[in-house]
Parts: sequence; C-alpha cells; structure tokens
Amino acid sequence: MLRWSSRSPRHWHEFVNHEVCVTAGDQQRFEGRVFTVDPVSASVVLVSVQENECPSVRVILGHAVTDVQILRRGTEETERQMKSVFLPDRAQDLSAEELKSRRESVRLWLEKNRVPVTEDGELLCVANALTISAPYRPGDCSSANEIILSRIQSLVESIPGAEQPSAQTHQ
Amino acid sequence: MKTPVSVLRLPRGPDPNSRGFDPSSPRFLALCPTSVPSSSSSSSDEEEQRLRAELRERFLRTLLLMTGKRVRFDMHEHVRVHARFGASDIDVLNLQVSDLETPLGVQREALLRCQDVIACSFEV
Repeated sequence: MLRWSSRSPRHWHEFVNHEVCVTAGDQQRFEGRVFTVDPVSASVVLVSVQENECPSVRVILGHAVTDVQILRRGTEETERQMKSVFLPDRAQDLSAEELKSRRESVRLWLEKNRVPVTEDGELLCVANALTISAPYRPGDCSSANEIILSRIQSLVESIPGAEQPSAQTHQ
Repeated sequence: MKTPVSVLRLPRGPDPNSRGFDPSSPRFLALCPTSVPSSSSSSSDEEEQRLRAELRERFLRTLLLMTGKRVRFDMHEHVRVHARFGASDIDVLNLQVSDLETPLGVQREALLRCQDVIACSFEV
C-alpha cells in the first residue's frame, strides 16, 4: 500500500468533489468535501458541507495523511457550490450587455495605450501572449509571460472612469 | 495572552551566494521528492501534467483565500495555535504567519515548519 504522498495526480484527482474522511497522524479524523490535493505536498483541502453555517476550509498537510476514504460521492451541483467559495465573483453576475460594454471599454483603453488587442468571442487577446476573460478585471488576465502579465494587469487596474469596484480584495 | 513577546530566535537566512533556493541542499533533498515519477507514453504524460496543473491551481487559490485570515493550526501532541496566515513557500515547507498566539505570548511574526503542522483550518 503506497503512502498518500507517493501517489500520482491521477489517483488524487479521483477524490476531488467527493465527501471523504481523512485520517491523519495521531488517529485524528477530518471530514469534508475535497476541493483539491496539492501535487507538490500532497496536502488535502477539505471544505465543510454544512448548509446553514458559513463554509470552513481545512488543509491537511500531505506528510500527515495516512488514509482517505470516500464517504459520499459529489455531484455537479456540489462542485459548483464548492467552486463558488473560492471564486466568488463569476461572470454570471453581469448581463450580456454589461459584459459587452465592459469588454469594449477595456479594449479601447488598451488600444489607447498602444497595446495590440483583438476580440475573440468573449475573450480579449493581447499580442498573442495574454488573454482576458469575462468580466475583464485584473485578476482575469492569463498569460505564460510574467512581464506581459504584470504590465497588462496594472493597465487594466488603472482604467479610468466609473468602473465597478471589485467585490473581493485579497488584502 | 495578548502581550507581545520579543523575538526568541531568528531563522537562518538564505545562502548569500545563491538564488536563495538550493535544490542540492540537504533540506530540500530530505523534504522534497527528488523526482516526479513519469508515465510510459507521452499522451498520458500530458494528461498527468494537466491534472497536476489543475490541482495546483486550486491549491494556490486556497492559499490566496487563506491569506490575511485568522487560521487555527493543529500540530503534534494536540497542540493548537491561532495566527494570521501570511504566505507559504513554493514547496509548502514553511508557513509565514503573524500574531502567533502561544502560551508564552503573541509572536509578532513567525515561521512554522510544515512538518510540525498537521492541519490548518479557517472560516471563509
């Protein structure tokens, strides 16, 4: 029987979104729904499943995990609920017209700053190296190049005008 | 319990001659797996890589959510401490925390070794 931390990502992925009971070092047991297993440290992230309380998250370090048993399998609904804990601002909050006008204003602002940008459906593509997805906030930029990412992020952050203030700040 | 205490011991800083992260150091070799076990065919490599990336991204989001929050650390011998989470290093070997509440008093800044920690819990 392999140690938990020696398992493959494929094995760990099997547990995501399911309710499990994790046994740790000194016979402690933790229950919750698996959000993820860190591939670097094999740490298990559990989210509490109680409906009426505010959600709590527990990270069990990989070196302490001795056993993980599935109690109940999750569904698409549970996956969606869990994700909403970690990614609260989703684009569904804005209507299609609002999204379009935001996309337009971000695109114009980038063009004004001489940044080559094209529209690809709902995405904004910058110089073939970075994409901005809805709702076009600094946190929605993704790129493989750190330098381009940080420059475009600070540009998007400094867009002038009555922009919607982001509801969540990681201060 | 809330009286701040003076710093008891500073951790040893990184090697001044290197980038600060030394893959051949005894610490790294002892605590991190030296190689990632690889699959035989290339298509399953890609799939494995994709899963690794997805799992890691979710974990990084967890750490982001944890930043700045008051976290309870469960350690060995049923020791429980509370602190404000700051950051983790890339290999999840050390956790930087602030206002660590210990029986001696409140440590303004501290570094917790992940080997000593069993679990961390926080409310969203």
